[in-house]
Amino acid sequence: MSRMLLKRVLLGVVILWAVSVVVFLATQALPGDAARAILGREATPERLAALRAQLHLDDPLWLQYASWLGDLLRLDLGESYSNGMPVTELLSARLNNSLALMVCATVISVPLSVLVGTYSALRRDKAFDHATSVVSLVLASLPEFVVGILLVLLLSTGALNLLPAVYVMTGSGSAWSDPVQLVLPTLTMVLAVSPYIVRIMRATMIEVLESEYVQQARLKGLPERTVVLRHALPNAIGPVAQVIALQLAWLAGGVVIVEFLFRFPGIGFALVDAVNNRDLPVVQTLTLAIAAVYIVVNLLADVVSLAANPKVRSAAR
Amino acid sequence: MVSRGQSGTTPSRRDFLRYVAAGAGAVGAGALVTGCAGGAVRKAPVPSGPPRYGGRLRVGVVGGSSKDTLDAHTAVTHPDQARTFQLYDTLLEHDDDYRIRPALAESVESDPQATTWTIRLREGVEFHHGKTVTAEDVIHSLRRIADPDDPKNGAVGLSSLDLGAMRAMDSRTVRLTLSRPDVTLPDQFAEYSNGIVPVDYDPARPVGSGPFRHDSFDPGQQSLFTKNPRYWRDGEPYVDELVIIDFPDDTARINALLGGQVDAIDQVPLGLLRVLDADPNLRLLESETGSWLPFTMRVDRPPFDDVRVRQAFRLVVDREQMVRQVLGGHGRVGNDLYAPADPLFNSALPQRRRDVAKARQLLREAGKEGLTVELVTSPVAAGVVEAAQVFAQQAADAGITVTIRRVDTGEFFGDAYLSWDFAQDFWFTRNFLAQASSGSLPDSPYNETHWDHPEFNRLVREARATTDEARRRDLIARAQQIEWESGGYIVWGFPNQLDAHSVRVVGLAPDKSGIPLNSYGFRHAWLAQ
Repeated sequence: MSRMLLKRVLLGVVILWAVSVVVFLATQALPGDAARAILGREATPERLAALRAQLHLDDPLWLQYASWLGDLLRLDLGESYSNGMPVTELLSARLNNSLALMVCATVISVPLSVLVGTYSALRRDKAFDHATSVVSLVLASLPEFVVGILLVLLLSTGALNLLPAVYVMTGSGSAWSDPVQLVLPTLTMVLAVSPYIVRIMRATMIEVLESEYVQQARLKGLPERTVVLRHALPNAIGPVAQVIALQLAWLAGGVVIVEFLFRFPGIGFALVDAVNNRDLPVVQTLTLAIAAVYIVVNLLADVVSLAANPKVRSAAR
Repeated sequence: MVSRGQSGTTPSRRDFLRYVAAGAGAVGAGALVTGCAGGAVRKAPVPSGPPRYGGRLRVGVVGGSSKDTLDAHTAVTHPDQARTFQLYDTLLEHDDDYRIRPALAESVESDPQATTWTIRLREGVEFHHGKTVTAEDVIHSLRRIADPDDPKNGAVGLSSLDLGAMRAMDSRTVRLTLSRPDVTLPDQFAEYSNGIVPVDYDPARPVGSGPFRHDSFDPGQQSLFTKNPRYWRDGEPYVDELVIIDFPDDTARINALLGGQVDAIDQVPLGLLRVLDADPNLRLLESETGSWLPFTMRVDRPPFDDVRVRQAFRLVVDREQMVRQVLGGHGRVGNDLYAPADPLFNSALPQRRRDVAKARQLLREAGKEGLTVELVTSPVAAGVVEAAQVFAQQAADAGITVTIRRVDTGEFFGDAYLSWDFAQDFWFTRNFLAQASSGSLPDSPYNETHWDHPEFNRLVREARATTDEARRRDLIARAQQIEWESGGYIVWGFPNQLDAHSVRVVGLAPDKSGIPLNSYGFRHAWLAQ
């Protein structure tokens, strides 16, 4: 198992490197460069030349990439083209904010969906199960910006005026300092990722509950509680972990749209901004961070399903 | 654009552009429902009586990003512009009717040749750090803007300055000697990008003499200002604190206003106008302006090097329909001339009207029947892309095929900017000579139509050197006539500026400049109970 882990980690590093190359080339393919984007319509030839020299945009491509990679290996993420701030300083607050959002969304959605999914499976074809089915199907088919806008209409600008519609920074600038403003974005993310987890949880649970060993446990006269918690749940959690991982990985990237909708100062908002400004160091850092989340989360999911399933565990040796 | 149906469980989630459009629509629809539910909308009357002091004014401004700056002379985005108006003062300024009046300077006068200018400063004005505004500060500011090694936004407008020939006569008097006569200098001194900063100015510590002082600044997010208690205008400003919040997205900005998180926003999208108007707590601020969204035809390249083709294109436009469809009726028709707010504007020329038969005939004479042209468009301002679509339909009536090529703003202002054969652009209000110097002379920085007409050039240069107003009026009238007959712009209309604010906000008035929210005039805004 540890050999497999090592292999996966190495593979992850290679993937990250490949991502950095692709992102670098993709940003080069965008029309215009950082100097143009920064100066906008005020870009006279003299000002362009001065800024390009300052940002080393006239260097050959391979040299620009190599110097960026070299800095990265020395753990130096460089400076933002847009405002000259070190990328780490610029993004640490943003990362912290996005993390706040993702942690809140995860902590609420995962236990909630596992619970709802399990309960639906136990109450199969009863009213609760049907209701859950319909609601989760509807939510799953709605893109999260629609969900977000409906929530805004319902809870802040339309019917009720309970929660702030957009995020406006107060005090220290950390999202944790004003939790009320976190509610709507978190709720949107929870509603975006939960339906999938609920559905897979229900499906797997039903399958497991019909399996022979659960029958056997029931025939032994074990209380239903023990049957579900000790025998059924651990076997159902493997496939569910995979879906949870996919959803969490999606959170890292999908947070972009939710952040844009609520004007939430996180990495998604920063990424849109950086792409518009052709701010290469920031784009690279953010895409690598998001890719890293994907890789780590998927790895964790594999570990969980391996740990939960002895058959797979031994097969991987 | 991101495609749909990619791998993973969530095909349409990252479909970004659709989100923006659908989002704005959904907000509109929903808010409309709640707006109508209350029946007829009755808004609170505008509070009368003396202004009330105190409070915090929160303003949502379109655009902004991590490249935002507080530098007095390099504003690019709307939030930059909004901040500039709070921190800095200019020597002269435009009033709501776009007439020039004194600000930091008591007077700016020239000799009859318009080459020697004397600036007389107001007495006892202080910068935020307590230093008095003196002649040295004015010279330092002008030098900083026009610095040939690091030119700022206003450098082109101040190109007639002789940087070596600026003298402080005494602490309140500056004498300028120009390298060529230039009567547009007062126009330049009234531009917000030419603010006066102290000799020890450092953009990292942005000190000016404006109504508000800088408190905190987070690029792309928001900036906080506090009242300047020693501001030179009596009684102003009224509010204690001012927050300017960046909103790159329309939906978020509108939601923030509807939800009461901001007190005012600039640039209301046309589609949402009725929604905001239906809200009893909000008031619209609509200003007729001299801003324009021209089509630009390159007069030195086929097919537009033939004046008959240019005339045909101008005749094919149904201007009323343009204003109706593109601006929702919130604007006025144009006559292929800019600077309608200029007191010297030539209003004697007949309004050009649609004449498809004449357009066809001109094209036939030019041997350009069944012409196909590519129109490069980009959402550089509200209504630009829509205008391209309406134009394409109208041109089809004269047998012209217009293929629309839509590019993003980065590409539009990229390397090909100013060299598209047929494209569009947007401009704020300017007086004729200032505008002609920016875009219609061979040495203009933004001559997008590549217009170079010897007689026009001579008339503009002569007008720039003519201090006698009656004579200048004649020269401008002739220059505008040439432009009207054979120029490369199609100026179909002047959009109104549309902003909105809570009924609590008092003191913002309609303004011809085209700069949102009464030229971001928060110094004379106050908050009612």
